[in-house]
Amino acid sequence: MKRILVIDDAATVRLYHRSILEELGFEVTEAVNGLEALERVAEGDFDLYLVDINMPKLDGYGFLRELRGKDMPQAPAIMVSTEAGANDQKLAFLSGANLYIVKPVRPERLASHVLTLLGMTPNGRGAPS
Amino acid sequence: MALKKPAPAAPSSDDERRLARDLPGLLSALEAADPLARRWAARDLTDHPDASRALVERLGIETEPSVSQVILTTLTRLGDEIAVAGLTECLRSEDAMLRNAAIEAMKQLPDEVAPVMEQLLKDHDPDVRIFAVDVLESLRHPRVEEWLIRVIAEDPHVNVCATAVDLLGEVGSERAVPTLHALKARFVDEPYIQFAADLALKRIAQG
Repeated sequence: MKRILVIDDAATVRLYHRSILEELGFEVTEAVNGLEALERVAEGDFDLYLVDINMPKLDGYGFLRELRGKDMPQAPAIMVSTEAGANDQKLAFLSGANLYIVKPVRPERLASHVLTLLGMTPNGRGAPS
Repeated sequence: MALKKPAPAAPSSDDERRLARDLPGLLSALEAADPLARRWAARDLTDHPDASRALVERLGIETEPSVSQVILTTLTRLGDEIAVAGLTECLRSEDAMLRNAAIEAMKQLPDEVAPVMEQLLKDHDPDVRIFAVDVLESLRHPRVEEWLIRVIAEDPHVNVCATAVDLLGEVGSERAVPTLHALKARFVDEPYIQFAADLALKRIAQG
């Protein structure tokens, strides 16, 4: 089963993303900020990261920069933000994001992005491995 | 080979800290080239209530994150009108780290931030309104619920309402219920709003 790390300081957002991703058959782990996310990364591998930008302690940009600097297999990352500014997108990609999406996230769009980044088809969504 | 006599060492940051620690000396050190000297100056300016303006001005141009962090801490301790205005301005920064640090600092100043909160929640920039709602998260102030209810009733931007409804799920009471239903009706096509409002209603019902 593929594992996704959802990183957001808002509990409701984490729960929302978890419900969408678990519906697709993924195993979801949560982190409330970038620092906690780095701890989760040290504990195990993930196949994809779903990362908020604005978080206390370590924001999404900082998390991705740290992650991309590590000597380890690199999984794709989707940066999720309330901000649609060109500068935010640029910073996201410079930090190591593979995709930048703006909230509010629609379930079908998130599913499509995740499956595409993981090289999966909607047909396999019930049992990603 | 002849040995050159070493040139006198430039004053270290420790030495600089031993220099004048009065307001003019500290304000001068706040502009020093050495980040360590600037950091010490920012820290020691905690004892100088007249330093807020200089700290705010420095914050606007400071490039070293550790110095910015100390300036924010000192501004939080000073907590006067100028300090709060400086923190508020950080919400417009392109620097996510600075923005988040300012949000955390503002949460520590409920009484000082309260007078500017109404204005922040009506800011023309939706991102600033979102950050203002983020400040409310831990702002121990009796008007927090009232502000959140007004946001979800009136704000036209879905992400501002989404941020507010997350928080209402934690701090909201029966007072918020009619407005949460109205929010669901206003954003009937937004799955996240439906999800978050339903969750908030459930939490409120559970008391």
